Amino acid sequence: MLIFVGLLVGQGFTTAVRLYSEMSGGGDGPAALPQGLTPLDGIIVPTWGAYDLAATLLFPFVAIRLVSAEKESGALKLLLQFPGSLLTKLGAKGLALLLGWLVAWLPGLAAIVLWKSYGGHVNGPETVNLLFGHLLRGMLAGGFAVAAASIAESAASAAIVTLGFTVGTWALDFVSAGRGGLLQQIAGYTPTAALRTFEHGLLQSNTVAVMLVVTLAGFVLAAIWLHPGRTARARAGWTSVLVLLLMVLSIGGSKLRTSWDKSENHRNSFSNADEQLLKTINSPLKITVYLSPEDPRLMDYEQNVLRKLCRVLPNLQVEYAAGSQTGLFENAADHYGEIWYEINGQKSMDRSTIEEVVLDQIYALSNINVPERQQSDFPGYPLSVQPAHAAILFYLAWPLLVVVFWWVFRH
Amino acid sequence: MTEPVGELRLGTDTGFSGRINYHFESLSAELEQFFRVENLTKTFGRRKVLSDVTFDIHEAEVLGLIGPNGAGKTTLFECVAGLIPAVGSITYRTRHLEQSERKRALFYFADGITPWPEQRVSWVLRFFRSLYSQSTRRLDELINKLKLTELLNSRLATLSKGERKRVMLALGLLTPQPLLLLDEPFDGLDLRQTRDVMSLLREERVAGKTLMLSIHQLVDAEKVCDRVVLLNNGTTVAEGDFTKLRVQANLSEGGLEEIFLALT
Repeated sequence: MLIFVGLLVGQGFTTAVRLYSEMSGGGDGPAALPQGLTPLDGIIVPTWGAYDLAATLLFPFVAIRLVSAEKESGALKLLLQFPGSLLTKLGAKGLALLLGWLVAWLPGLAAIVLWKSYGGHVNGPETVNLLFGHLLRGMLAGGFAVAAASIAESAASAAIVTLGFTVGTWALDFVSAGRGGLLQQIAGYTPTAALRTFEHGLLQSNTVAVMLVVTLAGFVLAAIWLHPGRTARARAGWTSVLVLLLMVLSIGGSKLRTSWDKSENHRNSFSNADEQLLKTINSPLKITVYLSPEDPRLMDYEQNVLRKLCRVLPNLQVEYAAGSQTGLFENAADHYGEIWYEINGQKSMDRSTIEEVVLDQIYALSNINVPERQQSDFPGYPLSVQPAHAAILFYLAWPLLVVVFWWVFRH
Repeated sequence: MTEPVGELRLGTDTGFSGRINYHFESLSAELEQFFRVENLTKTFGRRKVLSDVTFDIHEAEVLGLIGPNGAGKTTLFECVAGLIPAVGSITYRTRHLEQSERKRALFYFADGITPWPEQRVSWVLRFFRSLYSQSTRRLDELINKLKLTELLNSRLATLSKGERKRVMLALGLLTPQPLLLLDEPFDGLDLRQTRDVMSLLREERVAGKTLMLSIHQLVDAEKVCDRVVLLNNGTTVAEGDFTKLRVQANLSEGGLEEIFLALT
């Protein structure tokens, strides 16, 4: 896994640096607006995207092996008789997995160092936030895989269950997009969606809480099912209790509203003046969106407006009212494209998905004067540079290092 | 501990002086009830694999569990060790042991397992030694007696069946629990190794360890065991030393094979 991670990181990093360089005006092309060039989006997230792939397709199998190998070799029979509870032993395995996951981070960290050595900019808080997201993502993958390995008869069955779960979360993510309601709320906690919030520079207490609870539940579930000495009835009983607890804790965790915008360009927040004013609105705000899930305007609206509003307004209700999937064949009578705002029975409609226009609508409904807005002071960090030494580091030095360490460890 | 029921005074002419309080009743009770397996029943689906299995294990004895293939020997061991659920009770010195408590009183070593196959023998032995805080001397002693020196650098997966069995025996004997359950300890060993292991197990018994061995070779059982439990079709057919079993089988002479055939 370590070798593959290095290769994936290398591929992600070199591609990202080349693209970033092009967008910064390298290769004699036109440069993008500097404000749009953030190393988090341009370099760190795509490079560390390798770890999302690893947490989905590689790391679970390492975790499965950790449990299944002991079941198949008979070591489990000894392990169960060792001092200490099974949960403690699984906790130790979890720590070993965590350590392994952190070791696998070395190429990713090397990429950040390499980017710095090119003269690239790295913002500490948003980068640490992203790494924290990947830490939780890895732990979540490990927790689920350990649970699957404990329940399934063999490693192969556990792998099928884990892959099925992953594909299921992808499907949920896809199906629930732009639908609103409970389904979209649940989909907000799938591993990919949860990681996305960290990639946007957002640290949400509810995302962290749910990820930790689910990870812990995976290990507890493993402790319930791994011990062959438990009767089927005891297993079913304890599993029911755990599922109930998981639901209560997850629902409780999802209610947490505290979040921190760690992004350098404050992409998850309105301006200070706007946020202060929005916090004075105590009445519930209902937004009815007549945009279909596949309409790019809905994506803009969710990313630029709704995500920020959710952080500031505790009484926000969003209803997705479009009747079709694409919106291409909606009738004018179906209100397609309209976005309705309602506060204290007063309603207004607009079709814009631009932040300032939406805020003005809300202020008008709340009888609040529009504040003076200042331009963002985020300068952007264009950098035209080639990924020097990256190929040697990731495609040669790292695999060699892994092989040498493996050889030394074996002998 | 109960109050002493009497006092034995030793005169100076014996070469000893002082007194020994004796507790014959309690001693006898404890001897009889070191471990007791009572009405152990195990079913897999509708198939009853063990049915009201009851027997005693005395302190510092080698007890053989004898039975044909499919008699339920391994299942019995796993039930006693608490590795699989079963109905019935296990008591240790008159105290009922819950399933989760049994690992404190006994250790079970299954047959045919290869734990941590990629690790070296020396690592596995050291791991067990440190896990149970055994002395290096004790480990060295077992390595010598089981002739493991040449295997120390080998990985467990590369060992032959007999070599692996000797390593597993060493691991089992590193456990500090008063009772050790060994499933087929002589399986895979050649004649000389079998004799050496038997000798080692007898030494361990003399040192105070209680052993229960599942053996399908009756000749081996006869050589190493103080008493045996005969298991057939998941039930205890007989239990006792060979003299008692001969009486039970109405045989004036003959070995365990004849006894087994007569009783099953």
